[in-house]
Amino acid sequence: MFVKGIYNNFKRYWFLMTQLISRDFKVKYKRSVLGVVWSLLYPILMMTVMAIVFSQMFKFKVEGINYLVYLMTGIIMFNYFSEASHAAMTSVVENFLLINKVYIPKYIFPIAKCMFVGINFVLTLIPWLGVIALSYVGLGEYVCHFNWYYLILPYIFFCFFLFTVGVGLFLSCVSVFLRDVFYIYGIIITMWNYLTPVFYSIEILPEKLQFLMQFNPLFQFLNTTRTIVVYEQAPSLGTLGILGGIGIVTLLFGAYVFKKNQDKFIYYV
Amino acid sequence: MIDIEHVSMRFNLGIEKEFSIKQAFVNFLSPKERKKRKKKEEFWALKDVSFHVAQGEVVGLIGSNGAGKSTLLKVVSGVMKPTKGKVTVRGVISPMIELGAGFDGNLTARENIFLNGAILGYSKKFLIDKFDEIVEFSELRDFLDVPVKNFSSGMVAKLAFSIATIVNPEILIVDEILSVGDIKFQEKSKKKMMELIKGGTTVLYVSHSLDSIRDLCTKVVWLDHGKIVEMGKTNKICDDYYKEQLR
Repeated sequence: MFVKGIYNNFKRYWFLMTQLISRDFKVKYKRSVLGVVWSLLYPILMMTVMAIVFSQMFKFKVEGINYLVYLMTGIIMFNYFSEASHAAMTSVVENFLLINKVYIPKYIFPIAKCMFVGINFVLTLIPWLGVIALSYVGLGEYVCHFNWYYLILPYIFFCFFLFTVGVGLFLSCVSVFLRDVFYIYGIIITMWNYLTPVFYSIEILPEKLQFLMQFNPLFQFLNTTRTIVVYEQAPSLGTLGILGGIGIVTLLFGAYVFKKNQDKFIYYV
Repeated sequence: MIDIEHVSMRFNLGIEKEFSIKQAFVNFLSPKERKKRKKKEEFWALKDVSFHVAQGEVVGLIGSNGAGKSTLLKVVSGVMKPTKGKVTVRGVISPMIELGAGFDGNLTARENIFLNGAILGYSKKFLIDKFDEIVEFSELRDFLDVPVKNFSSGMVAKLAFSIATIVNPEILIVDEILSVGDIKFQEKSKKKMMELIKGGTTVLYVSHSLDSIRDLCTKVVWLDHGKIVEMGKTNKICDDYYKEQLR
């Protein structure tokens, strides 16, 4: 009954969702010569810069594995989260004019943003797979073999998406009442970036921090993906269960806070 | 059918102040003061408004600026939830409150037809079918691939009106839109409205032009400071309202 209601609502506003996403794409690449190619080119160039900075200048590496693939996996996933949650956070306030004039379910805005950035994320998987393939011919010393566990990746990314939507819903709701969140979150995301092993390995941390890291959801997602791609091992069923749990619980929490407060938005935006 | 029962709507005028550090500090020091001020800053945009709009009726709302007309429309269209009371609406609503609110200036007219159509709840198939009709009515075929930010306000209004009226909605909510575009387009849009009304659509119509109210409406509700002053037969209410305004 409950699920069916959500499904019907989604179906009804699906067209609007696609329109909002395609608007974001059109606006993003308006008047740029390369257009959508930038979605592919940008992560490649970014990666090149990061790879040079971390592996050549800072001499970062993790023993016994392909550091380039390790780094790139961390960056594309962390970037997805940081971009999507940020865009979702501002989405409700930005669309104030619409919310104030026409009835539209408001959750559509943060979700559409998470999807829009999600499509970009899927595009960045192409250069990512390219780098993994290039490891066969010597890029980054160690070879990362493609393996059957890759079939689990969509599940991990899907849980990651649910987690991001949950955070996005929560932030977009809170920021309506407290615009300070825009600035605070900028600081939080920077801190989170350094507290998550994006470009370093968890082993360089003191043992206490290593233990605490287990409670960092982003670490869980990054780590599981790397287990498959970099370490070529199967993640345990328990870990996969935890990822699903993180995704669903965060989503439900975000949705609950959002639903509880959405009728008040109109007075604050 | 629209049923409005004892609807009241409260706004808090002090909301902008409420969230500053200074205010939080003052509140912390004197909580009593806060309660008092809150009461003072309350503003009731609608007070116990009740009326019924039957199927096919065209109801006009009149009243001076700030009387609560637009708030009432927003409550009926679901944009706002009433503080007290209940609104029951049976049928699909097409809200024409502030045309073109859903336009994105960076997109072309063609792209905006789809975006705005989606916002108004049209399906993709419907929009593809009706695309030519919309363009024809808006008289903007030559400007289809121009970004809307380069349009004049008249052109924007014409495009928005054409998109909004392409459906045969069961309930139409209209806020002062017949005065868009040039004289020719005004006549055309008025004709279009008449067509919709004759087709059995229920209409809630806000306007400051008593002439158009007299032309279109079967019943009029006169609002003042959030309360209903009088409602009933179009001509009588319009006359009373006009006399009151001149006084």
